[in-house]
Amino acid sequence: MIVAENLAKRFGGVQAVSRVSFTAPDGSITALLGPNGAGKTTTLRMISTLVAPTHGTARVDGLDVGRDALAVRARIGLLSDARGLYGRLTARENVAYYGALRGLAPAAIEASLARLAGVLELTALLDRRTDGFSQGERMKVAIARALVHDPPNVILDEPGNGLDVMTTRNLRDVIRRLRDAGKCVLFSSHVMQEVSALCDQIVIVAKGEVAAHGTAGELLEASGCTNLEDAFVRLSGEAPEP
Amino acid sequence: MRIPALTVYLKEMRDALRDRRTAIMVLVASILTGPLTLVLVAHFVSGLEKKGSDLKVVVAGEERAPALVNFLQRNDIRIERAPGDYETRVRDGRLDAVIVVPEDFDEHWLSGDGAKLEIVFDDSRADAGPAIRQAERLLRGFNRETGMLRMMARGVSPDLGQPVEIERFNTATPRQKGAFLLFLIPMFALLSPLLGGMTIAIDSTAGERERGSLEPLLGNPVPVAHIVAGKWLAAWTFACAVATLTLAGFVTASVLYAQKQLAAMMAFGAPEFVLFVAMVVPFAAMTSALQMLICTYGRSYREAQTYVSYLATAVSFVPAIVLFSGLKEVPWHLLVPVLGQQAVLSRVVRGDAVGFTDWAVPSLVAATIAAACLVLLVRLLRDERIVFGRS
Repeated sequence: MIVAENLAKRFGGVQAVSRVSFTAPDGSITALLGPNGAGKTTTLRMISTLVAPTHGTARVDGLDVGRDALAVRARIGLLSDARGLYGRLTARENVAYYGALRGLAPAAIEASLARLAGVLELTALLDRRTDGFSQGERMKVAIARALVHDPPNVILDEPGNGLDVMTTRNLRDVIRRLRDAGKCVLFSSHVMQEVSALCDQIVIVAKGEVAAHGTAGELLEASGCTNLEDAFVRLSGEAPEP
Repeated sequence: MRIPALTVYLKEMRDALRDRRTAIMVLVASILTGPLTLVLVAHFVSGLEKKGSDLKVVVAGEERAPALVNFLQRNDIRIERAPGDYETRVRDGRLDAVIVVPEDFDEHWLSGDGAKLEIVFDDSRADAGPAIRQAERLLRGFNRETGMLRMMARGVSPDLGQPVEIERFNTATPRQKGAFLLFLIPMFALLSPLLGGMTIAIDSTAGERERGSLEPLLGNPVPVAHIVAGKWLAAWTFACAVATLTLAGFVTASVLYAQKQLAAMMAFGAPEFVLFVAMVVPFAAMTSALQMLICTYGRSYREAQTYVSYLATAVSFVPAIVLFSGLKEVPWHLLVPVLGQQAVLSRVVRGDAVGFTDWAVPSLVAATIAAACLVLLVRLLRDERIVFGRS
């Protein structure tokens, strides 16, 4: 479970995030939805301990991101904004490196790799160097790398970016499986369809603040709109009240 | 329990070794440096000795100075007739020195009133030096002999004309003469770890960020100190490996040249090799840490490459400064990085004694700087502005 309490972040003169609070429960998919520059990535970075909040805090499974950074990281699988792979290493070696860094024994890494490769349809690619991979293939390796230690919390920053239709469908499948396995899944997106097709709970972030949150139905009701896209535009403050 | 730093180290080593083209380039360069340098030096040295020892003078108008010819022949000097265009040839560097006998030489010579001989040379060419000095020496000898004979003919003791007799003793041992040329070995010894550590230092810092793999890496439950330590150890390993190979190349080359004149001038065998490696290993710890530190400031791979080449230039300047300024070694030099190593390594090549403190002081300085760089690196990688780019 991930809890954000009044998270705020200031970079020099720019207030990237001013007040973000929400709870992402286990066994559920929570989306941070918002336009580019709304503060989604910064919020996720604060939760995954890569950036220290100026105000407020976040807790992952009850652990404070400031005080127990290493323990928090151990309980998170993170697909960060930057998701570069080591091109001279094979897909297997890329994933195994992260497994080893998380303290997994070689046998556990192998077992995990076999499982993830099956789910992500990666098996044929495992022993190839990643520098020749397509964007979708890279994404699969990056996801496998993030999940190698079977973390109870999964944070995905814009996982749909730059993927074709088939890979996107495949990705949705993976995310649903994670939820069904009882994990807390938190992801960010600026794509309406992606969110509505997948999420149990939506947190709309705009200008560094939470503009609205609830299920898709609750958001429609609150905005008085008939479709989610209008609701998003209305609630994120991009359009004037009718 | 696995040590994360070791995991990082092994990954960086594997990653770097996979970069075959770079690895092979670096290895070939480091192996060839020694032999190539020594071939050039040996060529230069043997050329010098040949010019100095070849007893031959070039004379223009020898038929006008039978006394001089007689003197030279008695001293076993081969006389070579100067070609007509000797002045041009000297200017072009095809002739080193020519003794010119003027038209009226014999006339003045016989009457004993200020006969003149000329030496034509171009002393801007260093390799002409021995031939010029030889011509001068021969003419001085001819002058002295004639003077003595004439004094004796007038019943004067020849010692009057030579109140002080000068004998030449050159105290430089052949090895010390060689060390002048072989300042190159310390220089290459100090530059090779920079070459060896460079690729990993760039790739694991600026490269890691440019590739977009730094952010996820730092998201692992591993203290930053372990990540820095692993990367640095990998850079250090490569730096030491390349330095050792370069020095081994010098040893091999000096064995190959054992029969030539160069062998007397330099000793670069097993004991010198061990001393060099002992000196270079702590030095490499410093250069690798420094390279990583400055590369972390690089916004891109390319920028980091530029910074690293500045560092290499700075390091290569030190031996050059020592060579050209004739800077005498003072104790505080040991405290200055590069300068200290350079001073001690030059002594090793010269065959002078090197004590424990000569090794310990520069090495301790290097280790301290390395540690400081690593502490700074850990701090930098905890800095959001460095990790996510500066705005």
